[in-house]
Amino acid sequence: MSNVYLYNNSFESLMHLISKIILLKNNPDNIKNRVNYEPNLLDNIIDLELKDTKELKLFLNSFSLDILHTVYYVYLSENDNKELIIYYFLKNALKYHNEIYLHRNLKCVNMAINISNYVGREAHKLKGFLRFKLLKNNFYYAEISPTNNVIEILSNHFKKRLKNEYWLIKDVNRNIYALYDKKNVYYLTDKEIVSLNLELDNKEEKFEDLWKSFFETVAIKERQNFKAQRNFMPKKYWNYILEMENRI
Amino acid sequence: MVIKMDLKEKLIILSDSAKYDASCSSSGSSRKNANGVGNAAYSGICHSFANDGRCISLLKILMTNSCIFDCKYCINRRSNNVKRAIFTPEEICTITINFYKRNYIEGLFLSSGIIKSPDYTMEKIIETVYLLRNKYHFNGYIHAKAIPGASEYLLKKLGKLVDRLSANIELPSDNSLKLLAPQKSVNKIDKIMTTVKENKSRFFVPAGQSTQMIIGASSETDLDILNKSEHLYNKYELKRVFYSAYIPVNSDKLLPTIKMPPLVRENRLYQADWLLRFYGYKVDNLLDKNNPNFNILLDPKADWALRHLDEYPKEINKASYYDLLKIPGIGPKSAQKIINARKVFKIEFSDLKKMNVSIKRAMYFITCNGKYYFNNAISKGFIESNLILDSKEKIESIGTQLTLFNE
Ligand code: SF4
Repeated sequence: MSNVYLYNNSFESLMHLISKIILLKNNPDNIKNRVNYEPNLLDNIIDLELKDTKELKLFLNSFSLDILHTVYYVYLSENDNKELIIYYFLKNALKYHNEIYLHRNLKCVNMAINISNYVGREAHKLKGFLRFKLLKNNFYYAEISPTNNVIEILSNHFKKRLKNEYWLIKDVNRNIYALYDKKNVYYLTDKEIVSLNLELDNKEEKFEDLWKSFFETVAIKERQNFKAQRNFMPKKYWNYILEMENRI
Repeated sequence: MVIKMDLKEKLIILSDSAKYDASCSSSGSSRKNANGVGNAAYSGICHSFANDGRCISLLKILMTNSCIFDCKYCINRRSNNVKRAIFTPEEICTITINFYKRNYIEGLFLSSGIIKSPDYTMEKIIETVYLLRNKYHFNGYIHAKAIPGASEYLLKKLGKLVDRLSANIELPSDNSLKLLAPQKSVNKIDKIMTTVKENKSRFFVPAGQSTQMIIGASSETDLDILNKSEHLYNKYELKRVFYSAYIPVNSDKLLPTIKMPPLVRENRLYQADWLLRFYGYKVDNLLDKNNPNFNILLDPKADWALRHLDEYPKEINKASYYDLLKIPGIGPKSAQKIINARKVFKIEFSDLKKMNVSIKRAMYFITCNGKYYFNNAISKGFIESNLILDSKEKIESIGTQLTLFNE
């Protein structure tokens, strides 16, 4: 039998759970998100009570912002073992504090840093590659399909950048929407979006056309280099990059 | 003669004539969004990559491609018979804001041919940028060209509105400038750079100034060019010198005839420039009178290492930061990782791999805890041929991408 602990589909819940497991004597065999956990006869499921938010606060306060940033980014990845990596990373962080970043020879530390950098890199790329379209209803609307779950990072970016616009970002694969109403960002699922009118604003086509013309013109023919273009802007993003649509 | 044309046609003409400027960076500014549109990202953001593999970060356009000057190498020179266009300030604002809100761009790069007079041109640029900042409340990145010969008063006015200013030196020596761009003088460029340097602050050109040199239009060697760069970095505290491989757009008996732009040479200069700014190298470490040009087959650092094999191998667990940087394949990021890690454990070859420090190029030049990667002694020729094979791949796949050299 292996001991499996379940958390409730959020970073806070995972952190809370880990704070409790750390107090126990034994390391967990696995930690899983209840939402996509598939029951297994060999698993012994353990539910811990996760209500006391004071407890969680106290636990979070024992870590620097750097450390919380690292584990949050790991949490946003799709790594199968991310929960265990976070658990061991935090356990070591209680001992080493910010010095933990020097211990690259510890597997959990090295993996946490690498995964968190990977997530950060993808988020950074999408800050550039994401394309909004202006809809009739005055919303700027974008679709993305990132490898990692970076929609929250992107929302925090656009919340500052386009703070006086309405916008909506859809993660097509995960069916999550980030909706901004000039004040707050709301994360919604398919079911929570009752109706969505994607009709484009009258001027939208004109600006898309202008952008595509600019994109074609600004390249220097004598230096044409599609390979470099593909290296910097991987094909997996092209579906959602306006100017690459006709190249797919 | 400027005839009425639609926005798209103007955009095509005025981006086509701006594309030869190598600068694409949108970094170095942390301008906040003061309840308007946009902000700057300190590390810069690439929004797309053009078909030549170069990063697209800014809407790079000229206000007009009309020009009263006649610089020999320039497509927009007075004596060329090309279609001319001019944007109104409002038109530039409309495109910038609409592109920005759709997240196509980080901001605007605005340059211009010279119409009527340098002062008049500069006033038009200022009018445009002023509108963007104050009517449209745009807080995104703006890089403007300073027009040589415009008054200092106007330059100061422009500097308060933009994130970056640049004046292109274009040619690496005064003689070439006199020959090929007789109406631009070194003096005028020097004046601009001095003013920007003396006034730079959080509120004046916060992302600093840059310049560009055209490579291969005149006879200077790599040594001449790098000496010029070193001088510019020291004297004016430039953020960047961009190098732009000469692409023949005009035929003129004063200009060389070439088939292909010297892209590899351009890449070598970028690599060397990087070594000057971040690796503690000096120009005379890299080149000298007997050896005034870079090896086209090898990057400058590897080339230097091969000529100084007696200084290697370096011990990963002991070498200083600057010694680590002298190892081919090890950059500032990797060097920092190594320094951090060895505070708490002894680094082995397998640890380097784990830490994502590539040893593909470094392995010939290092030991880990006294161990060398190869069991037998290896020859200089062996190292050289392997490095060359490796660097050939790089030249093809990377070309001369500027974002490699993040500021
Ligand atoms: S001043 Fe500028 S635009 Fe005019 S010809 Fe010279 S380089 Fe070209």
